[in-house]
Amino acid sequence: MGSRDNILSRVKANKPEAIDLPKIDLNVFDDSRNVLDEFIKKVETAGGNVFEATSSENVVSQVKTMFPNAEVNFSNLEGTQRFNSFSLEEIKNPHDLDDLDILILEGGFGVAENGAIWLSDNKMTMRVLPFITKHLVLVLKKDNIVPLMHQAYQKLDSEETDFGVFISGPSKTADIEQSLVIGAHGALSLSIFLV
Amino acid sequence: MSHSKAATIFNKDEKKVNWHDKALWFVRHKRDISAHTVKGWEELRSLGQGIKAHTLSNLDTYLIQFEKNALNNGVQVHWAKDGDEHNKIVRRILKEHHAKKVVKSKSMLTEECHLNPFLEAEGIEIIDTDLGERIVQLAKEPPSHIVLPAIHKTKEEVDELFQEHLGTKPSGGDPQYLTGEARKHLRQKFIEADVAITGVNFAIAETGGFVVCTNEGNADMGAHLAPVHIACMGIEKLIPKQEHLGVFLRLLARSATGQHITTYSSHFKRPQKGNEMHIIIVDNGRTEQLSRPDFRSSLHCIRCGACMNTCPIYRRSGGHSYDATIPGPIGSILSPGKDLKEHSSLPFASTLCGSCSDVCPVKIDIHAQLYKWRQIITKETPQPFVKKFSMKIMGSIFSKPKQFEQVGKIARWSLRNLPKGMINSKPNVWGKERDLPLGPKESFDEWFKNRKKDGQ
Repeated sequence: MGSRDNILSRVKANKPEAIDLPKIDLNVFDDSRNVLDEFIKKVETAGGNVFEATSSENVVSQVKTMFPNAEVNFSNLEGTQRFNSFSLEEIKNPHDLDDLDILILEGGFGVAENGAIWLSDNKMTMRVLPFITKHLVLVLKKDNIVPLMHQAYQKLDSEETDFGVFISGPSKTADIEQSLVIGAHGALSLSIFLV
Repeated sequence: MSHSKAATIFNKDEKKVNWHDKALWFVRHKRDISAHTVKGWEELRSLGQGIKAHTLSNLDTYLIQFEKNALNNGVQVHWAKDGDEHNKIVRRILKEHHAKKVVKSKSMLTEECHLNPFLEAEGIEIIDTDLGERIVQLAKEPPSHIVLPAIHKTKEEVDELFQEHLGTKPSGGDPQYLTGEARKHLRQKFIEADVAITGVNFAIAETGGFVVCTNEGNADMGAHLAPVHIACMGIEKLIPKQEHLGVFLRLLARSATGQHITTYSSHFKRPQKGNEMHIIIVDNGRTEQLSRPDFRSSLHCIRCGACMNTCPIYRRSGGHSYDATIPGPIGSILSPGKDLKEHSSLPFASTLCGSCSDVCPVKIDIHAQLYKWRQIITKETPQPFVKKFSMKIMGSIFSKPKQFEQVGKIARWSLRNLPKGMINSKPNVWGKERDLPLGPKESFDEWFKNRKKDGQ
């Protein structure tokens, strides 16, 4: 008997009698907080910065002012191709993105309770993009924020993705004597533009 | 070595112990603040507990469903009955790809299987990429905490380690500088890696996908850059549906560090175009634990570490004193199930105060299980003579009220009148670091009776 059948038969023999799956009652968690205020607060708690913008061009011009010395830039916002210093088609190997300074992406939706933004394959072409970039800029529609993770997964129920990630703040670590350091392996900063 | 002996060694450096104690209590405090912002937190814990209990009671069905969906997603699925088989499967995949360099993000399972020494003996470079894990790897030590692997190291110790291994400048332990240097060093390793290994926080039967949570982004840097991704999971990582992630991701980070969610919660389903993805499903003693009605709920654990941060014994004895892959309260109910004799001192490394059970996000009754293991261990493993003998005497005293009263009288008198040196003599281990209270003049029984007489 192979390990697969061995494990499965042992599980079958050793498991307890069937226990019902509990139902999730969302009313219990409804805190009636203002989702936009809560979202901004939680992004800042997680070490991210929140800005307002009027259009995609406006995002790009603000980003340029924030990072005047950035050389390798990429944006997937409509009508901002002039910002890009290279074309993604040229990139044969994800390793070649190692010197990426700024990445601007359109975020899927936000979650108020933890300041996370959903990003999926469909918007990323190369999965490593939001992790390998030095600075990550995400653009989010103000009316595209759900209160809790439960509603986030209701949204994702109808979305078919090969890979997706909730990102909350820049990468961080506190592994040296519990001192918080922003910028571990992923992005050194996260800026969120609300439109 | 027993937990108490190892803890004695850890306690030699009083300053460090005090720091360790306070640092972990601070994390516990952050957990409280964060949990209290969630309306319905207790209901959320109950859901976590209920979903896990349901899953275990249908685990074979969910494992089959998960495998089927993962295969449909183009992921290769492997099964390992123990650590050895797990390691051999990893080696086989590496050989197929002529892989020499491997990056690994935090996975307690691969620690449990001792994957690193196994691969190193084969001439493969395996690099732990979580900063804390990298620190303990350079120090040739196991992690002392499941979420904060290097919590037992001072910044000065890290400074010295990095000078020796990464060629950094002396910085007096500047965390910003040291983290920056580690980022550069590990970035190179990510770029060079042939294969990336990650753990799994949650595997979803309904979709065949799995979720990995990190703050540093190391799992993603590894998995998206290397052409091959191997994810290793214990059979108990399964949850039925994607919507259940809504419950567990709300609980996990808040319980672990007090964050509302980890920086990255990555949902893997299909391999990147042109790449390979493997999942290894491991038993290694878990089906055995599933057979024990008193202890099976220990398999609900989502590895947040909250029970360690709150435990008065863990905070003052350090993770290494447990000499087990998973230290602290949860480790002390998991480890005896694997080797009762080797880990027989662990269930006694507790005050049974119950704080671990109170903070557990999936409501495991950890302290009750510690107590139950004690009953089994006392019956099944040889106990020291002094303990056996004194328990016998105590048992006989407690069973005879008259005798109990008399012995109480003598004990109270002794505590008031005998010299300290005699009270704190060798057999009284309590007196090693502490004094016993002064004996009161009357017993509770006497006080209660007198009180009644006075008509109060």
